[in-house]
Amino acid sequence: MSTDIQKKAIPYLLILPSFALIALFVVYPILNSVIRSFRHPDTGTFTLANYLYFFTDPIQLSNIGYTVFVTVTTVLLTLLFAYPFSIYLRFSNSRLSRWIYGLNLLPRFVPGLVAVYAVMLVINDAGVINRIGRIFGLNIQMGLLHNAKSIIIMNLWFNIPFATLIITAALFGLKASVIESARDIGASKLTIFTKIILPLSYKDALIAVTFVFMSNIGSFTTPYLVGGNAPKMLGIALFDQFNSYMAYERAAALSFIMFLICSISSFIYIYVNLKESKWEQR
Amino acid sequence: MKYLNPNRLYHALGRRKFLEFTLFTVFLLFFYSPLMNTVMLAFANVYRVPAVIPQQFGFQWWSFILSKESLMSSIFNSFVIAIVATAVSLIICVPAAYALSRYQFRGRRVLMFSYLLTNAFPKMGLYVSMGILFYKFNLMGTFAGVIIVHIINTLMFMVWLPMGALRNIHRQQEEAARDVGATPLQVFRKVTLPMAMPGIAVASIFTFLGSLEESEGTMLVGFPQINTMATEMYGVISDYPATAGAVFALILIVPSLLILFLFRKYIKPDSVFGGVKIK
Repeated sequence: MSTDIQKKAIPYLLILPSFALIALFVVYPILNSVIRSFRHPDTGTFTLANYLYFFTDPIQLSNIGYTVFVTVTTVLLTLLFAYPFSIYLRFSNSRLSRWIYGLNLLPRFVPGLVAVYAVMLVINDAGVINRIGRIFGLNIQMGLLHNAKSIIIMNLWFNIPFATLIITAALFGLKASVIESARDIGASKLTIFTKIILPLSYKDALIAVTFVFMSNIGSFTTPYLVGGNAPKMLGIALFDQFNSYMAYERAAALSFIMFLICSISSFIYIYVNLKESKWEQR
Repeated sequence: MKYLNPNRLYHALGRRKFLEFTLFTVFLLFFYSPLMNTVMLAFANVYRVPAVIPQQFGFQWWSFILSKESLMSSIFNSFVIAIVATAVSLIICVPAAYALSRYQFRGRRVLMFSYLLTNAFPKMGLYVSMGILFYKFNLMGTFAGVIIVHIINTLMFMVWLPMGALRNIHRQQEEAARDVGATPLQVFRKVTLPMAMPGIAVASIFTFLGSLEESEGTMLVGFPQINTMATEMYGVISDYPATAGAVFALILIVPSLLILFLFRKYIKPDSVFGGVKIK
């Protein structure tokens, strides 16, 4: 009997160390910080003031709007570029497309800080673009750095290869014969896209969107290095609350607000995943 | 130069080839020209406006970077932290992956999805929440604190990728080994582990490289006592000339390139975003 119990305990024992780590350093801190976000910094009594601050202070409100604007723009532009790019990579058999496919892997492995720095050296007002312009007697000052444009450019650098990989992988699951047969019975390119390619790949595209959305809502390094001073992305605003103002209650409230914004896209992610498993059951 | 005339090129290559060639050029310009430019600047002695190609090449800025003590110690710290984080993560996560893929038990699905929690909360929010706790435990500004942050960061990959790899091994192969008299430990070491190796290798690579480039959590939890290459990079970007910054950026990217090259047979497009989708 005791060996039976021992056997049943084995999987739990194997999981225990990693689960303990999550419980102690993820679950507990998050719960702790959610509770703290409802407390008054001095008296410790229940209050909504920490949240109200972010929704009434004009600077913080513009930060929230700015973050949502930058993130949504990034997501839309990423999809706009990644979808056609993926279709090209999937359906072109040329040697050039194989090369691009291989080269598309590297950006994922370039340390974020290096990528940001490398792009900064190109787009800053004394950077490569400006210097090339001077050869032709132009003084190109695009003013790309330290505003929303540079954050979006950087986000695209990181996210297009990532989204492309996910969508391309989904498209590889699509048999070429399906498309050939559609073409045989006279389907136009647009029909093939809307009736075959889109329905079979939109779920993976949505998963890519979810990840792009979530990682950009809370991004820090990119806006810290190439973003402006005002308005700020929420990741920076949060760091300021914690590090500069030591306002832990407000920092906790802001992280929860960011979590709520992210959970909009988490719901899409979970919904898509559940729908998929339902479809598989049939 | 006349061969680069777009009009000539269009007619020489044909419409399809021309468009493909344009795409390739734009792709290289956007994704690779910044990296190539940085590599070039790392070997420049003089890079004054308006030169696109540096006026003088050499290793002047390498000796400058190598003489900076804080930068050198940051390189050492980075590797120590990355190695320890990867090793501890392996010890903790591979057993969990094994249990989740091999045993049926109550709460399995809930436990499996609990690893998703590490990625569900905004990263900076999680670091801040952890930071408040770290003050209580006196983990602020310690190696242990930084290593915990790095392990948490890639915990999900570290469980889910090996789990997927272990699940693809047929149980009959393990049973066959048991039938000819192997002990459970021998089976694990000689049969299960080698077959799951690709998944475990990719997960370890993610953890190792992730730790090397992690800057946000390290800065929040470790600053100013613990400096890594990634946290030093913030200062290098804002304070140093481009030629010196490029040298340090190159040092930071070398481990990634080396590992990508050495483990290229394990790293496939699917594994690059592995763990993103639950299969």
